[in-house]
Amino acid sequence: MSASTDTATLAGSQRPSRLRLLEPITILWVALIAALLVLVALPLLKMFVISFEEQDTGVFTIQNYLTAYGRQRYLDAVRNSLLLGTLSAAISVVLAVPMAWAVSRTDMPGKGFTWAIVLAAFIMPPYLGAIGWVLLAGPNSGWINVVWRSLTGATDPLVNVYTFTGMAFVIALHSFPLVFIFVKSALDLISSEMEDAANILGGGTWVTMRKVTLPLVWPSILGGFILIFLETIALFGTPAIIGIPARINVVTTQLWQFFEDPVRVEVASAFAMPLLLVTIGLIAVQKLLLARKGFVSQTGKGGERRQVKLGPWRWVLFGWCVLVALLSVVKPLMVLLQASFAKAWGRGFSFDNLTLRNYQFLLFEHDMAPQAVWNTVWFSATSATIAVVLALLVAYIVVRRLIRFADALGFLAMAPFVIPGIVMAIGFYAAYAGPPLSLYGSALLIILAFASRFLPIAYASSQAAIRAVHPEMEEAARILGSGRLHAIRKVTAPLLKTSLLGGWLVVFIVASRELSAAIFLVGPRTRTMSVLLYDLTEQGNFEVVSAFGGILLVITMAIVGIGMKLVGRDFMLRRE
Amino acid sequence: MFLLGRRQALALAAWSATSSQAWANAPLTPREQELYEAAKREGEITWYSGQYSADSSEAAGRAFNARYPGVRCNVVRSTSQVAFQRLSQDARAGVGQCDVLSSTNSGHLLQLKRQNRLTQYRPVNADGMLPAIRVSDPDNYFQTTFLGIFVMAHNTNLVPEADAPRSWTDILEPKWKDKLAVGHPGYSGAIGIWALQMRNMYGPDYLRRFEANKPQVGRSSVDPVTMLNSGERAIAVATATGTILLSASRGNPLKPIYPSEGVLAAISPSGIIRNAPHPNAAKLFMEFQTGPAMSMAVRELFADSLRPDVPPPQGSRPLDQVTLLSPSMEEAERGVPEIREQWREIFGI
Repeated sequence: MSASTDTATLAGSQRPSRLRLLEPITILWVALIAALLVLVALPLLKMFVISFEEQDTGVFTIQNYLTAYGRQRYLDAVRNSLLLGTLSAAISVVLAVPMAWAVSRTDMPGKGFTWAIVLAAFIMPPYLGAIGWVLLAGPNSGWINVVWRSLTGATDPLVNVYTFTGMAFVIALHSFPLVFIFVKSALDLISSEMEDAANILGGGTWVTMRKVTLPLVWPSILGGFILIFLETIALFGTPAIIGIPARINVVTTQLWQFFEDPVRVEVASAFAMPLLLVTIGLIAVQKLLLARKGFVSQTGKGGERRQVKLGPWRWVLFGWCVLVALLSVVKPLMVLLQASFAKAWGRGFSFDNLTLRNYQFLLFEHDMAPQAVWNTVWFSATSATIAVVLALLVAYIVVRRLIRFADALGFLAMAPFVIPGIVMAIGFYAAYAGPPLSLYGSALLIILAFASRFLPIAYASSQAAIRAVHPEMEEAARILGSGRLHAIRKVTAPLLKTSLLGGWLVVFIVASRELSAAIFLVGPRTRTMSVLLYDLTEQGNFEVVSAFGGILLVITMAIVGIGMKLVGRDFMLRRE
Repeated sequence: MFLLGRRQALALAAWSATSSQAWANAPLTPREQELYEAAKREGEITWYSGQYSADSSEAAGRAFNARYPGVRCNVVRSTSQVAFQRLSQDARAGVGQCDVLSSTNSGHLLQLKRQNRLTQYRPVNADGMLPAIRVSDPDNYFQTTFLGIFVMAHNTNLVPEADAPRSWTDILEPKWKDKLAVGHPGYSGAIGIWALQMRNMYGPDYLRRFEANKPQVGRSSVDPVTMLNSGERAIAVATATGTILLSASRGNPLKPIYPSEGVLAAISPSGIIRNAPHPNAAKLFMEFQTGPAMSMAVRELFADSLRPDVPPPQGSRPLDQVTLLSPSMEEAERGVPEIREQWREIFGI
């Protein structure tokens, strides 16, 4: 009797002490897990589940897979996407690696210029580049072909954008900055001693570059290659603008067809599943390729980094950079600007063809354009904030190893990195568009999708930044009686301000131009600039489309300008 | 398929020139007044439309806002198939966002009616429309709001009028290889109707022979106009007269061709969606579309007027001088998804 009373009192006294064990950090951990489940795991899980469900009844079936893969045309779309991804990534590597090497390791002139071009190519949305190249390289009317014909008298076009290689090339022209960033930052770390060793053993500049320098940055090249491959197979705008006239069906345009009436989310999910397998496979291949070799270039023993003297060759490399600049930025931008100020772009440049009407129409007469501009700004800002806050907390827990299974958090935060944007959008549609939440068309749904899609960018930058802050500064605060969250707020966060702002800006910029994740989620009042731009491209009015593209670029450039002012001019190209 | 009889066509063309700008500012009818009061409480109306061109749709939206201050029209303009796809996505998610759907594929509205997804409403203003288009659905689930006349066009710099094709079969000749441009039935409602009409008239082989000439495929029926303006292609196939005339008025070298067999008449309806979030504003919008105010607004941009009291746009051919071709609504509902699939098999996209 007394024993049982004892237990009761014991239990009674234990309960509050257990609650006291529940540190705020544990609650935070639970909240973070919940957030990541909502943002990353649930949409994918839901998509996986419904890919095996019959529409309306929900009965288990594999019919969706049979439908999705039961036609030659659908299989062709998969093949086309894989080829397109590979080709675009390969062209990007060819474009970017010499530039990265030249900027990082040599005495090539015009490094600032090259750097600016890479930045410009990065902030230009790919579908704008595609429109620019339609104006440049249409087989009959493209400027390049018109000039070519008048110079040579030839009848055949020199270049044709409406081809497989044409499309891959246009995509590569706006993807190569990723390879550049990856490879340049790896090259920056290699000390000249390794190259000196090769030189001493009789290798010239080229042999050394080929046999020593480049192999050392092989992981970065591969990383950039895979990233571009993933971005390419998820692109929607360029295949719609160039691929349809070129008659090339790809996975994204095919997924769009599954959303025709009657909407077959189940079949679309089944069709998208192998894409996920491909990306997971690629990451595995990357791990395998890199596993057995050492790529350590940072030894902690200092080592100086000298520039390779190229002699006259430096002008050849500079010429290469100028060429890439012309193709990726200068020319498309010129034709877009010309078209945006033209009454009829087909008439070319003349003073009586100039007008501000296109801008005036969009800014003052168009029902949706100003709304879309505002949507883009606040969706991007909100999703960037969510992503950065979430990433910061996760990174903090992971880096400081505050709890067990912290790595699981990190894994979830990085997972969207390998999920094509359009697949993510279908997952969000499947999970949250309908009842019980019925978020379809709401701003919240789009913001969550953006935050999820770009979480890895924010996470990577937060992680690197937190690593760089030694825990002893926080510990000092804690010794003086501050709680952990208080210490984070007062000590760690201020130290990280600059890098966090950098991460925020990068997420803002990529979110402001995102099309494929938005296209299945927007409603009438929540269209973003990218979606409205896509709608405008099917209305046969390139002048207005170009003007809207001009407005988008001005906004992005303003943000980039602010970023440079606040964070330093290399904030977008820094890879921590 | 049906051909409008000569009498109907005459009636259709019995425009009178008595109207003026005053129509747009005319006082509201009692029905409009009543709906307007109710609509003001709803504040807005969302219009998914694939009928009028981007410019004309925006102009219509602005005219609505001017006529009914306090009720705002959200213009969601896309191609008709895309508009219908958005509506399907809404329905699949169980979310009501659209008040009025306007499509160039009349089969869309017939399907929605059959699935009991439309609200019955007979606009009073419809009584003042051209007699031939006054009644679109005997049960009043939808109403004609767009009279699209789809023809061909040529770039006058590249192809002089004497050499231009004259009929829908002329463009099958090998000499037009790599010179044609057309929209896509997966996006444009009108192109679906057109392809169906061609198959009905010339058999299943028509599309295959058309494809042999490698037309440049865009998405919208408007896309070919861009391709002609730039000189990328010379002949536009199945493009609305309004678009061609508007573009030509801006200085582009374009001219419409009225094919000898007749023009494709997309007599296109709009309907109120059953779960419309703004039901009164939706009814008001139907009154607006069938009334003189919208015809006045779109006429300025060369779209055809729906009413005898609003004159047709400048430069368009009077409708009593052309034969109007069109499949029936039932054929459209059944046939367009079918022909879209055939198109994809033949064109690969």
